[in-house]
Amino acid sequence: MYVVIVGGGRTGAQLARTLIAQDHDVHVVDDRKQVLTRIHRELPTELIHEGELLNAQVLEQAGIEQADVMAACTTHDEVNLVLCYLARKRYGVRRTIARVNNPRNAWLFNDLFHVDVELNQASIMASMIQEEMSLGDMVTLLKLRRGHYSLVEEKIPAGAKAVGVAIKDLVLPRNCVITAILRSGDVVVPRGETVFEVGDEVLALTDPKSARELVALFEDPEMD
Amino acid sequence: MQIIVVGCGRMGSELAYRMSQRGQDVAVIALPDAPRENLPADFQGRVFEGDVTNYEVLHRAGIETCDALVAATNSDALNLVVAHAAAQKFHVKTVVARNYDPAYRYLYEMFDLQIVSATSWAAQRLEEMVYHGEVRAVFSAGNGEVEVYELAVGAEWDGHPLSEWMIADVIAVSVARAGRAHLPRPDWILKAGDVVHVSATLDGVESLRALVCRPREEK
Repeated sequence: MYVVIVGGGRTGAQLARTLIAQDHDVHVVDDRKQVLTRIHRELPTELIHEGELLNAQVLEQAGIEQADVMAACTTHDEVNLVLCYLARKRYGVRRTIARVNNPRNAWLFNDLFHVDVELNQASIMASMIQEEMSLGDMVTLLKLRRGHYSLVEEKIPAGAKAVGVAIKDLVLPRNCVITAILRSGDVVVPRGETVFEVGDEVLALTDPKSARELVALFEDPEMD
Repeated sequence: MQIIVVGCGRMGSELAYRMSQRGQDVAVIALPDAPRENLPADFQGRVFEGDVTNYEVLHRAGIETCDALVAATNSDALNLVVAHAAAQKFHVKTVVARNYDPAYRYLYEMFDLQIVSATSWAAQRLEEMVYHGEVRAVFSAGNGEVEVYELAVGAEWDGHPLSEWMIADVIAVSVARAGRAHLPRPDWILKAGDVVHVSATLDGVESLRALVCRPREEK
């Protein structure tokens, strides 16, 4: 994919390195001398474009007209917003990603400025920390719809409340569905009669609140 | 009218003060780096300090109920974001933005925003004044792309039809004779002392000036 990254600071440069390693066609734009000096040491010179971030000619030099993705990673939220709007409206870029620097500006990062994906570092960190604190051994496999619903996995230890209980007899949290059980290398499709065993790996689709209730069913209460 | 002025630099504070002197209900949002000191002590409006992209700040200034918003900071990106949010999210009836750097004017066109580009406008006026004093611009439309000019008819044009002046990029607006203005028809015959108003681009008025002020030997 052709990716234009605007803003080559720590976030932008890290993203560029990751994408280059995956063989994507990456171009980075920045206007700060110090930053440019640093990324010239880290990235191939022909991928770095120097110039004002909102200047159409500079962006066109970086190939925004053929870009599949534009990632706005500058430290100014208003610049990131204008970049997303510009990328979609003027150049028809299919996917726009913007970094949110100040969480208080997050309300603007949506269709209003054609932001497809907002990367709100502060809130991602906060919710990850919160999940780590509350969910113990539960692993999040996939986040759906910007992280409101998740597919989670949990291995049932001996002593958990759910062991020996059939799904139909288990009072499951409201916004939660058991989607699969992995048992001795096989997939068991969950039915009402299916009884949980020690060592089962349970996959469930759930929202954050139900996830916490689910943990209570599938964890060994003695462990705390 | 309830009006929000975003930005409290020289432009924002001057504008806010003028409108409050006219009795408008003005709220100024002063950015952390451009504090309220620019406002005269007798400013009657309300002042809020904070980031203009913070919803709480806009809400306190009355974004949901205001009739008009002017984005007048010295950051084009900030003006674009605030003006676009005001127009599209809060449906503020009148939204005007200040274009600070003329290089970024194309962005305002893309956002479909009304702007005043003080730098472009002043540069254009200064350019006109350097070239010629005798043809006076009396009204600027947009940011000076089209202006209305006033020209006096000299004796050498007495008896000529006005249509001779209607060259490319020039349209007649009115002809005043003896203190009374007329909507001119193309067959209007000029008389020395008439004052003609035309609407023209800068190129148009340059050509007209060359034609009208040229020393006329023939006929």
